[in-house]
Amino acid sequence: MKDLKHLYYFENLLGEANNDLVRQARKEGRYALGFTCFHMPEVLLNLDKCFSVRLRAPRTGSMEIATYYMSNATCEYSRALLERAMEGGYRFLDALAGVDACECMNRCMENIELLKTCDTDERFFFCNLDVPFSDDEDCVAHYCEQLNRKLLVPLREKMNIDVSDASIRRAVEKHNELSRIIREIGDCRRLENPTITGHEYHILSLVSWCCPQDLIMDKLRETLEELKSRQPDAKKSYRAKVVVVGSEIDDPELISLIEESGALVVGDRFCYGTVPGRSEITLDPDQPAFEQVCRQYLKDSLCPRLNSPHKVEQRYATAEKLCHDYHADGIIYEQMKFCTYWSYERALASHVMSLERGIPTLSIDRPYMSRTSAGQLRTRVQAFVESLEIKKIKARKAGAV
Amino acid sequence: MSETVQEKRRAGTAASGAAAGTERPGTKRKAHGLGNLYRADGRAMRYREWRGFKDTMYDYWRWLKLLGLMAARLGPVMPQLIKALKRYRWMASYLTTPAFVDRHTIGLRKYELRYCHEQFYALIQSSVSMVRDFLERDRHLNPRSKRAARLREKTIVFDEMMPIHIMAGFPTLKGIPLQMIPIFEAGELDQQANMYYIDAIEHFGLAPDVCPLPGAECGCAVVDDYPDVAKLYISSTMPCDGSVVSTMYTERYFKNLDCYQITPPQRFNEEEVQKYAVKNLKGAIKFIEDRMGVKFDWDAYFEVAKRHNIETQYMLDKWDVNCTPYPQICGAALALHREFEWQMASSLDPYFAKADKKVNRLMMRGYEHAKKTDDRAKYRAIVWSCPAHYYSNFTFWAQNCWGIKTLVDMECMLTHHFYDVEDKEKSLVDMAKGYERMTMRSHSNGGYVNALDECWKMCEKFNANIVFMYNHVSCKNFAGLQGLFEDQARERGIHLIWVEHDLMDPRTVSRKAMRDRVNRYMTTVFRAEPLDPTLVDYDDDLTW
Repeated sequence: MKDLKHLYYFENLLGEANNDLVRQARKEGRYALGFTCFHMPEVLLNLDKCFSVRLRAPRTGSMEIATYYMSNATCEYSRALLERAMEGGYRFLDALAGVDACECMNRCMENIELLKTCDTDERFFFCNLDVPFSDDEDCVAHYCEQLNRKLLVPLREKMNIDVSDASIRRAVEKHNELSRIIREIGDCRRLENPTITGHEYHILSLVSWCCPQDLIMDKLRETLEELKSRQPDAKKSYRAKVVVVGSEIDDPELISLIEESGALVVGDRFCYGTVPGRSEITLDPDQPAFEQVCRQYLKDSLCPRLNSPHKVEQRYATAEKLCHDYHADGIIYEQMKFCTYWSYERALASHVMSLERGIPTLSIDRPYMSRTSAGQLRTRVQAFVESLEIKKIKARKAGAV
Repeated sequence: MSETVQEKRRAGTAASGAAAGTERPGTKRKAHGLGNLYRADGRAMRYREWRGFKDTMYDYWRWLKLLGLMAARLGPVMPQLIKALKRYRWMASYLTTPAFVDRHTIGLRKYELRYCHEQFYALIQSSVSMVRDFLERDRHLNPRSKRAARLREKTIVFDEMMPIHIMAGFPTLKGIPLQMIPIFEAGELDQQANMYYIDAIEHFGLAPDVCPLPGAECGCAVVDDYPDVAKLYISSTMPCDGSVVSTMYTERYFKNLDCYQITPPQRFNEEEVQKYAVKNLKGAIKFIEDRMGVKFDWDAYFEVAKRHNIETQYMLDKWDVNCTPYPQICGAALALHREFEWQMASSLDPYFAKADKKVNRLMMRGYEHAKKTDDRAKYRAIVWSCPAHYYSNFTFWAQNCWGIKTLVDMECMLTHHFYDVEDKEKSLVDMAKGYERMTMRSHSNGGYVNALDECWKMCEKFNANIVFMYNHVSCKNFAGLQGLFEDQARERGIHLIWVEHDLMDPRTVSRKAMRDRVNRYMTTVFRAEPLDPTLVDYDDDLTW
């Protein structure tokens, strides 16, 4: 396929957390609010003069200092962030909006705070949300209280940010517009012969998490228009379609590696992906917007941390639906090494999906930077693709297809 | 590790019994010491320790008393017990209970021996009753029994790291911590008990880097080794990430039981979170009321809350004494007792308060005696982070080998606030706080202040300059603070002795490897000589 016009530009933006657009926005007097987890509602970080930056540590190499502080038994993502913070990579932030949702990330935030790795002036604030374990109304009330006290109040008092209902509604509108564009781009993956690869889509998705969103909207719109007339390769470059489900992925190389192994990634149900992060938020004009935003984030959350039976079923159903809607042949359940939540979820879900729901599943764990384990990962994916092909051949022979 | 044992086996008796360090170079005479009690090639100890006539007789009498207790409590369910030995892999570990007590009393004399026996007797009588509760209710063992079915109708199982304290308001019902007997306590009685379940869940696909406690609990579900004893299931999200997600497995396993989740907030130092916590508990109460058709009995609840306050006061008294130069109830005798008293029995068992009263009297006598004879501890230490289940007598080993007294253990510093016994709403807040500050959770959750700052506060309070810093290799909560602990200990001049372990799996880090960490520190940093050289290096990989 012909290269997308802005892909190289987008890819360059992912080279560092404090990229050109972040610097431009800060020069304009706006505030950069760092966050890492879906449970910190992104839309509330984009109020008024603020913009959200979902933190990454691209091109991570050695993590020795972070390993000293957090041991080698903690998730590499959190260690990579701490290492980058200690290198001064997040000094541009005006606040760090953390959540106490998983142990490793919580400790990462605490280390960042205690080791004074951010340039803290009187405006700067850390917050650490207590995220509830389910999505009932008691949980929503608790979540609202936490977000109000730990995020909205400091934003208003320290940065003089407008956190009113009208301001939240404006942020939601912008969020919805971005989500519509991203989802529409993502719909190209539903085609029999998709006009966008998983790798390209992941880059667009990541840019939308890591840059001031208003500064990329034009180029995203252009990309959407471009995709409408983009011609796929005459000969398919993949042997199977898969949905990737699992923990944090902010490494386009991983998606690229999977696709090089013959599996086109048509669904992305992982942290930093677009399900559920790029869902539109529907607001009732008669209800407070803040409460509705909080409710939707809890309802949409697909993190294994929320483990009530209905949330567990929601996760299985979402993965199954993605597989069906995007005509995928199988699911790759992945987890970052040392991620406790996804370790449990991956083990159980891969059995449930393959044995009870009849969806072929590959279950892998991986390092933060996939290149450090590329050989093993490639072998696993190639074997999975072959097994999918064999299944198709057998089904064809049996006359089922 | 296993190769060493096999080599010794092949070498025959000459090597099998002689633990390294028990023979002096150039002589065939063995040094006298407690290390000689252990055998590298056997599960049981070589012989019982001689403690002088009076103490040996006392110890032997306690041993008989314990056997008598087990016979009296389990005698009526003997047929089920025999069936359970065939049905459940964990059941056999309970036959080693007397050896468990023996392990914890090695080297103790006079008052200390008596405290330890009293403390352990209290927790064991509670566990034995719980084993009986399982046996007489279990559907697998009593498939056609109407009595068992009636008992099941009145029983609720709870996730093991969550106290059954809420059952104080339901005196006509029975609450049982589900995984306590099959996994938690079995692993303490017998270091080999959990391995099968850990292997089962890893074979199922769980990564081996996660905490083996919730892992083993899931493994027990995967191989269908839980008794079926209840009508309802109260699951929880405590104390850590592993426990949060492992409930997916147990809820799936018990899909025929109605389930409610108690989900205490994480940042529990904030007063604002208590509103949600109380709502969540009220939800649990309503759930039980609706499903079981009984009302929450506030009078009964307040009675138990009063007992909780009494038990807590006794606990604080023990700590106060340990802050003095003459500590009395130390190590596992302090820690395990409190863990079981609150986590397992949740003040519902009146025996604990009765035993506490007796121990308290004894402790004050022991304290006066120690003061008179100026019997001070050689080294004063506290234990921080979660200890190895398979080596609960580690602190007694440190005491016998190096003279290090463990004054307090992080695990016993769970819920120690007093409950309101008149106002229902206030008491519910106290109960919510009780759940929030449960075993492990009280320090591993709620932000770094509960782990880091609290550790230094306790060092100061107990006048200790050594911290046995348990480095549970799969615990991400404490691992995430490792460097900060190291930096801050150095700033404060505190000896932080990192002791690696893997909680339930001695194959990752053996008991011997744990001891080696202390041995190395004591010889290189303190330049100390062991009080009992036979305890420096011996092999106990196969023992219970």
